[in-house]
Formats: sequence, structure tokens, C-alpha cells
Amino acid sequence: MSKGVHRFALLVAVATFFLIIAGANVTSHDAGLAVPDWPLSFGKVFPQMVGNVFWEHGHRMIAATVGLLTIVLAIYLQVREPRRWVKRLGWIALGLVIVQGLLGGLTVKLLLPLWVSAAHATLAQLFFLTTVSIAVFTSRSWTYAEPKIFEDDNGVSPRTMCVASLALILVQLVLGATLRHSALWNEHLPTGLLVAHITGAIVVTLALGVTASAVLLRHRDEKFLTRPAIIALSLLFVQLLLGIAAYVTRARSPYQPQPLNPMISVTVAHVACGALVFAATILLTLRVFRVLRVEKRTVGVLATA
Amino acid sequence: MLSKRAGLWLGLIATLGLLSLGSSCGNKTETNENAGSSTEKVKYSKGDEGTISGTIAYTGAAPENAKIDTSADAQCTSKSPNLTAETWIVKDGKLANAFVYIKDGTIDGKKVDEYGWNAPTGAATLDQNGCHYKPHVLGVMAKQEINITNSDPTTHNIHFLQGKNPDWNQSQPNGAAPLKHQLNTPEQMAQVKCNQHPWMKAFIGVMRHPFFAVSDETGKFTISGVPPGKYTVVAWHEAATGPGTEKTMEVTVPAKGSATADFSFGAAAGLQGQPSSLPLIAVEFPMLGKH
Repeated sequence: MSKGVHRFALLVAVATFFLIIAGANVTSHDAGLAVPDWPLSFGKVFPQMVGNVFWEHGHRMIAATVGLLTIVLAIYLQVREPRRWVKRLGWIALGLVIVQGLLGGLTVKLLLPLWVSAAHATLAQLFFLTTVSIAVFTSRSWTYAEPKIFEDDNGVSPRTMCVASLALILVQLVLGATLRHSALWNEHLPTGLLVAHITGAIVVTLALGVTASAVLLRHRDEKFLTRPAIIALSLLFVQLLLGIAAYVTRARSPYQPQPLNPMISVTVAHVACGALVFAATILLTLRVFRVLRVEKRTVGVLATA
Repeated sequence: MLSKRAGLWLGLIATLGLLSLGSSCGNKTETNENAGSSTEKVKYSKGDEGTISGTIAYTGAAPENAKIDTSADAQCTSKSPNLTAETWIVKDGKLANAFVYIKDGTIDGKKVDEYGWNAPTGAATLDQNGCHYKPHVLGVMAKQEINITNSDPTTHNIHFLQGKNPDWNQSQPNGAAPLKHQLNTPEQMAQVKCNQHPWMKAFIGVMRHPFFAVSDETGKFTISGVPPGKYTVVAWHEAATGPGTEKTMEVTVPAKGSATADFSFGAAAGLQGQPSSLPLIAVEFPMLGKH
């Protein structure tokens, strides 16, 4: 197991997180079409970074960097990683980042249609999921974790709860992305999507709250599991507060002459924290799958046999 | 040989790539819906045309325009150090930048839409000056050329938002040749914004006829060359948020005569608008359509 591969995978995951923040800034500054051409910016590699060009071209530069890092990671995995499925994950990450880049180009070329913008924001989270997973799979803690037996007492297993939470968070992220891209900063958010996103927040809070609490209660001595559970719960709490703040500041935005702080900073923080909640839940889910083995109660059956 | 999964990925990437390239190569075809073919319609040329004129008042205390933060572009700060929004241009209780137009009416027993008017051969001008669009509110006829100029020492981005007319997004560096554009479909009001300087916006009334005007700084407007008839006149203002606010009234233009249509906006205005020769028939309603 290469320590270098893990560190590099971690670098790609962190870079992807910053890319999500850069993308959120593009949307919040209404800079999506500040550069009307693609893949070059005004026909140049380095245009003058004035006005909203700073955000749009800055996003492109970070995206290009993440793309290059992902190419290196995919090759690095082929060379140093013994597990075939992890190698394959490297290629999947590369495929996703290429598709993501093309979707970014489509948002510019098609002048920000909602479906492309929402797909671009959604794929960003799926790519983040992939890079975080690679970082987890290449870590020492993953490699040396001891699988343990977890007796299924006919309740819902932590595995199921984690997967359900993860899926619900992804749906919530998609809803949030669609909500953000369905109205400009000077327009009011559509009520239906807003209600759906708020409802999603309640559902995710319940799901992740129950999941993390179950892990904390049943496996309180397993730091391997309790740490991501505590981190996920803490981030979820922060995310709920940021969500309320984002709603309040966004409601005032249509009356402003331009996108302004605190709307921009709070909304970007909300997007970033959403990605972190997702990452923490990915970590929790993968670790639960790693160490908890579900077995049906078979003692009685064996005894009678 | 490629595995099925690898083939699927390659197919997806190739499709998206082709879509990206295709979208960059293809020019959008502007729709010509409702533009009206002036050559097929009846022309009015009796020589007895009159005018509609009036004043746009703002009742109550004029709202203060918000200060704009231009720090993202030093050239804007340098040229317009105290830039403010242009939502409310109110002087002595009179409101500028209201777009007044004939919405409907009858001329010699025929609907206004049954007549045809040629678009002016001269272009309208939309300038970018001091990191604002000049004028802030513009009226043009459908298919009339719009000359877009940049008088600022910075690059601007002109984005006609999709409404009844398609999106159009171009950048224009300082010193670049004027851009030409035309809107083929009547629309009240088409919106223009700058994606580099998000406070910059303009509104364009795209009409099938030439009977429109924009109130000046004294709140006055005049629509000339109006054939005698009964008309529904609309005064539109962008309002603090959303697609704007409209007020309507009925006026009658006599042959070679004039009609007056005074409108009032503002919190204290209520439903106002006073034609000089007719009892008040004015209805206020927010424009629900997204422009």
C-alpha cells in the first residue's frame, strides 16, 4: 500500500472541494456567462481578470488543475495500486472529470439552461464522492481495519441506514443545485423547489441523525466509526444554520443592485458545508461497510440441527 | 477490445463533446413570431395623425437608489466613483425611464394590429458608459437595428436575456467596433444585462408599431404620429424588483389633435392615471410574465 498514492488521492479530493467552492462562487456572483467562449476565455488562456471574469476564469483554472491532477491520479493508481477495483475507480474519476468539463462548456455554449447547470452541479458532487472514496480506499486506516461481526437483531442495519442517508443527501444536493440555478440573484426563488429543499433538509436531518446516533450508540468504542459519525453530525448542525442564513440573505437579494455579501459568502459556505456533510457521510458509510459484517442469528438453528 | 462499460463511457463523453462543439458552431436562429409583416398589412397615411403626451409622476418620497460596489473593476470605480442603481430617477416628483406605449386600440374600426408599420432604417443606440447602459430604458421596433457601443475603458458583456426573443451573449472590449443586434419579436420588456458587471441592466420595449416613448428626467413623454382612434396606453416601470409594474388607461386621439395621459407611480399613487378628456380608467397589475 503506497502512502504516496493516498496522499495524492487526498490532494485531489481537497482540490475538488475547492473546485466546488469556486463553482459556487461563479453562481453566486452571477458570473456564469462572464466569459462567452469556451474552452478558451476571450480566445486566451489567461485573460484580464476583471469583474466577474475573475470568478468564471478562476473556476476554469481550478477545474483544469483538478483535471490534470485526476489524470495523474489515474495513472498513479495503475502503477502503484495493487487492487484492480481501485485502479478502475481511478479511470472512473477521470471519465467523470472529463464529462464534467464538457458539461461546464455546455453551460457556457447553451447560455446556462437549467438542466445543464443542475447536471453540472450534481456531477460535481458525484466526482467529489469518487475522489473522497479513492482517498478512503487508499488510506492505511482502511487497509488495516479489522472487520467485526455485527449481529442483525432484525432492525435496520447501519449499512442500510448509511446508504439511505447518503442517497438522501445526494438528492438534497441535487435539489439545492436546481434551486440555485432556477433563479438569478435578482429573482425570487421558486416556491415549489424551495419547499422541496427545506423538506429535504428535514428528511436528511432525521436520516443522518438516526444513522449517526445508531452508530454512536452501538459502537461507542470504535473510533474508526464514531469519528466520522460525530463529524457528520457536527457538520449537519452547521449546515442547518447556514441554510437558514442563506435563505434569509437570499430573500433580500432581489432588492439589491448586485449580488452582495453576506448573501454570497453565506450561500457559498452553505454549498461547501453541504459537500463536507456528503464527504463525512461517504467516509462513515465506507467504514461501516468495511468493519461491520451483517450476519443473521443462526445460533438457534444450529442448536436444533 | 473495449469492455462494454468502457464503451459506454466513451460514448457518453463523445456525445457531450459533440454537443459542446455543435453548440459552438451553430448560430441561433431568431424567431420571427408575431413580428408582423408590415408589407402585408394596411398602411395608415391620411395625414391627420395626432399625439399622445403626458407626465409620469412619482407620488410620495422618492426611494433612494442603492450604491453600487464597483471594486471588482478598477476602471468602473475610476470612471464612476459614486455609482448608484438607476431604478428610481425621480426629480421634483417626476419619474424618468417609464416606457409608455400603445398596447391596443382601434383606428377607423380596425384593430391597431391590423395595420403595419415599417421599422425605422436608422439604428437605435445602446451605449455602455460609466458602467451603466445608456439609455437605461430603450424603445425599438421589432427588427430595428440596435447599435451597441462601449465608451468605457473596460470590457463589457452584453447579454440579451431570453424572453420572447432568444438569448444573445457577446463581449465587447474597450475600443471594439460597435455590435449590431436586432430583436425580431415584439416584447415588453426585453432585458439586457452585463455578466461582468452584474449591476448593469437595461430594458428594451420591442414594439410592432412606432407608438412608444420613454419619459425623460422631467417625467414628460410624447408619442407622435398617432392615427386618430381609441387606445389603451400602458406606462411601464421596472419597479424595485421583478419584471416591473404597469399602469394602463384609455385615451382617444382626435384627428390632428392630442390626448394627454398622465400616470403616477409610487407607494402613495394607488391606481392613478388621468387622461385629460376621459374619465379615469386605470388598472394597476404586476407583470407576471418572466422577461
